[in-house]
Amino acid sequence: MNANDQKITIGSLIALAFACVFFSGLLQSNEWYGVFDFTTLNGGFGKILGSVAGSADAVTQKFTSFRGTGGSGAKDGFIFALTLVPTVMFAMGMIEVLQHFGALEAARKLMTPLLKPLMGISGEAGLSLIASLQSTDAGSAMTRGLIDEGKMTKEQGDVFTMFQFSAGATIVNFFSSGAVLFTLLAADGSLAVPSSIGLCVAVMLLCKIIGANLMRVYLKVTSSKSAAKTATA
Amino acid sequence: MSAPTSKPMITDVFVTGARKGWAIATSSTIPNVMMAFIIIKALVITGALAMIGKVFAPVMAIVGLPGEAAAVLMSAMMSMGGAVGVVMGLYEGGLMTGEHIAIVAPAIYLMGSIVQYMGRILGVVGTEGRLIPPMFIICIINAFIAMFIMNILV
Repeated sequence: MNANDQKITIGSLIALAFACVFFSGLLQSNEWYGVFDFTTLNGGFGKILGSVAGSADAVTQKFTSFRGTGGSGAKDGFIFALTLVPTVMFAMGMIEVLQHFGALEAARKLMTPLLKPLMGISGEAGLSLIASLQSTDAGSAMTRGLIDEGKMTKEQGDVFTMFQFSAGATIVNFFSSGAVLFTLLAADGSLAVPSSIGLCVAVMLLCKIIGANLMRVYLKVTSSKSAAKTATA
Repeated sequence: MSAPTSKPMITDVFVTGARKGWAIATSSTIPNVMMAFIIIKALVITGALAMIGKVFAPVMAIVGLPGEAAAVLMSAMMSMGGAVGVVMGLYEGGLMTGEHIAIVAPAIYLMGSIVQYMGRILGVVGTEGRLIPPMFIICIINAFIAMFIMNILV
């Protein structure tokens, strides 16, 4: 299978390990090692003066982000959405770089032998599995191909489709919207959300696998039922 | 795919990705988030959000969330980006805390955009009609498993 069969190199394993650390939030800090952390490098917007209050001898100033306070509806939504754009661009840029160094290829190789024990589908689905984490359309088209070519049974195809259907295009969708939530700052300037991008991705992948197995059980139960029906008929 | 014929500069690779990010942001993130804010505004001024909060409070309490978080999950089914917008709206309105966001975040994706994906995934693969309802239900179960796990972790 041409380029897809290339060997994983040390470089691609390093890229994968780097990806895990970079998005895990483990090295989040303003020390030098913060350079290996997504949230740290993502930084924050500057503040602008929001309001000034006080008497002649004491003046208190309140700062806000450029979004301001008290907005609502479409206009506030638009300005808020603008604040998400840098995070999306940064995350997608990093994913492109990590992909360039073979991080996803390494993930595919490491996952291939696990597909059978984890979900009961053949290792050949590895490539479309990785593709489905980035694009729902690529994943579903490749899955269709695997079923049509007979590389997967219909049941395996259904289980695999279930895996893709829940949290479709996980990586791209999550990094283009949800990752932003993990960079929210509370009023005192600390991070608001007590969780990390890495933990969130791990839980999503775990649940995708659980969902695929629920489908497996469902298919087993319904097929034995219909088999029993035809047997009695 | 990962075997380029010529070696591009790493900075160029990053910029290519960032450009994709810009395309996603402008064509998907911004319109979806804007829509979510409009929906929230509509829900707030009609009092529907408060009602959702009351009705779903017992269910959402199981996973440590306020009833209003049900609005997040409902919008997630239409659009993941929109649901993130709803979360932001609720966070700023003081109806959700950082802990609540941590709990709900994976769930947004696990049952996210399934209305769209019915066509884009199930339609393309050619999934049998009888399997579509169980697949929807499994997505929702997945979301609740994730919220349950996150509720324990945070």
